[in-house]
Amino acid sequence: MLKIENLHATVGGSKILNGISLEIPNGEVHAIMGPNGSGKSTLSYVLAGRDGYEVTQGTATLNGTNLLDLEVDERAAAGVFLAFQYPHEIPGVATFIFLRHALNSVRKARGQEELTTPDFMRLVKGKAAELGVKDEMLKRPLNVGFSGGEKKRMEILQMAILEPSLCILDETDSGLDIDALKTVSEGVNALRSKDRSMLVITHYQRLLDYIVPDKVHVLSKGKIRHSGGKELALELEKSGYAEFVDEDAA
Amino acid sequence: MTAVTNIQKTDAELGLAQQFDDTRANLPGNAWVNTLREDAIRTFAKLGLPHRRVEAWKYTDLRSMLKVANTPAGSELHTVSDADLYQALGADLHGLGAHHIVFVDGVYDEENSFIIGDEAGLVHMTSLAETLDNPPEWFKGNFNKVNPRDNDHVVALNTAFMRDGAVLEIVKDAKLKRPVHLIFISSSKSAEAITERHFIHVEEGASATILESYVHLRAPDTQRNSVTELSIGKGAKVNHIKFQHEGAQASHLSNWMISIGESANYRGFQFTIGAKVSRNTINVNFDGSHSEADISGVAMLWDEQHSDTTMDIVHGVPNTLSRELFKTVLDDRGRAVFQGKLVVKPDAQKTDAKQMAHGMLLSETAEFDAKPELEIYADDVVCGHGATSGQLDEDMMFYMRQRGMSEETVQTLLILAFVGEAFELVEDEDIRAAFTAMAQAWLGGKSDE
Ligand SMILES: Nc1ncnc2c1ncn2[C@@H]1O[C@H](COP(=O)(O)OP(=O)(O)OP(=O)(O)O)[C@@H](O)[C@H]1O
Ligand SMILES: [Mg+2]
Repeated sequence: MLKIENLHATVGGSKILNGISLEIPNGEVHAIMGPNGSGKSTLSYVLAGRDGYEVTQGTATLNGTNLLDLEVDERAAAGVFLAFQYPHEIPGVATFIFLRHALNSVRKARGQEELTTPDFMRLVKGKAAELGVKDEMLKRPLNVGFSGGEKKRMEILQMAILEPSLCILDETDSGLDIDALKTVSEGVNALRSKDRSMLVITHYQRLLDYIVPDKVHVLSKGKIRHSGGKELALELEKSGYAEFVDEDAA
Repeated sequence: MTAVTNIQKTDAELGLAQQFDDTRANLPGNAWVNTLREDAIRTFAKLGLPHRRVEAWKYTDLRSMLKVANTPAGSELHTVSDADLYQALGADLHGLGAHHIVFVDGVYDEENSFIIGDEAGLVHMTSLAETLDNPPEWFKGNFNKVNPRDNDHVVALNTAFMRDGAVLEIVKDAKLKRPVHLIFISSSKSAEAITERHFIHVEEGASATILESYVHLRAPDTQRNSVTELSIGKGAKVNHIKFQHEGAQASHLSNWMISIGESANYRGFQFTIGAKVSRNTINVNFDGSHSEADISGVAMLWDEQHSDTTMDIVHGVPNTLSRELFKTVLDDRGRAVFQGKLVVKPDAQKTDAKQMAHGMLLSETAEFDAKPELEIYADDVVCGHGATSGQLDEDMMFYMRQRGMSEETVQTLLILAFVGEAFELVEDEDIRAAFTAMAQAWLGGKSDE
């Protein structure tokens, strides 16, 4: 379970998160929607531990572990996975090699044995096939020259391989064509499980038709202004954020 | 460049002059060679050691770096065993299945040298010392004339003091499968000056991989001056590679003087991890059309190492191509210099020349200086150059660490990827693998001595 309480954070000296409180029990999927610049990506970076994102107040724990005390890679080992809004290109590091180092690192940190090469290959190729990632792509440097949609698929492939306990998806649907949206959503749904929580950041209700959330939250100006069930997304799609954004001002 | 009047001579300069007088009688060579030496020492006396006011030495002030002139090596012969070579080269480079031509502290070591039987007729090797004592006409006609540069301080010093080296010929149309591995090992306990000179001719239609390895057993403070003259015949193909891992206090002055014949293909590569001060001069001249040169390298420096790569590539005939890609990783107070000069003469239409140098700085005190220089006198040409210098990308590091990799793993992967782009250009897979493994070991410990 992810538990965030009264989280405040600054980036480059500006206050971006202004007291976020959020609980995602294991087994649940929560969606966060909100206007551009409201702090959605910032929240994901703060949870992942990116340099320069300074927590000034509040707590964040994952299954009881205080995330804010850990280094970036330690948080990953503790189960935090962030599917990036803009995945980075890693020239010169073949996707296979990257995946192998990533998996071995988290397995080691979790006290598991490294996979043998054949087992690793089977695992990766199997998951890749499910997500429609061609073998040929696994030999290329990670994300270099991949299309926007291919990068997003690759994020989900990594997520499937690393078996995190908290999945944060930052606009994974942007840049996906209709078929890819379906494949990727199926990939995500396959990972839904009773000991995993998910935070799905999106601008579009359509994604939530595929990945049906247990709750929807509206984030504006660094704070959750409203929460509801999956029908809230439909409402937002129709009427926009104005109503919720104003709540604070009122 | 204006002539600079040499003020006071330094201790090293005075020492070199004295040593020439002391050792000349013991240096090999007949009267013809003697004249070469005398001319050279006169040139050197005029020029002195190069310093920062000499444009080509702007960033490498050898005059102030070379405090003393070590005693010339060779008066006393040292022996090494094959196990010593294994230790100095490492298992990978020792195990290439190559022909070995070994020099110990600057002197040819016949015991440890061999040309493997299956290619014995294709590689002719004589020691320079032997050749100088009795130089044949073809040698006299070409030696010291392969793509020479006037007034080169270091080459003049080399010609004056040269003691031994390899005179190597790869015969016409020979297609060598095994690399020719020239191994220069320094083993002396005392500080010595080693002066080597190599004269290599790859004949028409031949193809060969020639690897020069400069390694050390002990001798942390050797001063080496090595010149390779390499002429490449029509249609020949040469992979010419240097591995430099001298001792931590050593100086390494290297000159490659290359001349490329018509339709020939030259692929040069230099991998530098050793020596306190190294200067790698690479002069390339295209003598025939439709020829190509790809000259690349990797340097990995730390502590207070200083390494300078200075190239002068002259396109003098039409339809030639040159490519350079140099990658340098610098830690601590390491400093690297890259000076790349490209000259395209009026007749050299359809020249295609591109040059790139990248420095990666792992510490705030490391420094990378790049100075490209283009002199283009023809109009129908494509020329380009670029240089970058930077740190590991923070965003990339965050992304990779988010996937669970430790900071150390991420650095290793990213640095290996950085240098890997240059290592890709080494065609021989075994040599490439050996270099990659050494780069990895460097990252793991930067161990030396
Ligand atoms: N380094 C920085 N210094 C100052 N402000 C920053 C910095 N990085 C981000 N911000 C600001 O933080 C705010 C929140 O940005 P964030 O990326 O979290 O928004 P978002 O909700 O993800 O928006 P989008 O829907 O466009 O992805 C923005 O106003 C942004 O300009
Ligand atoms: Mg965002």
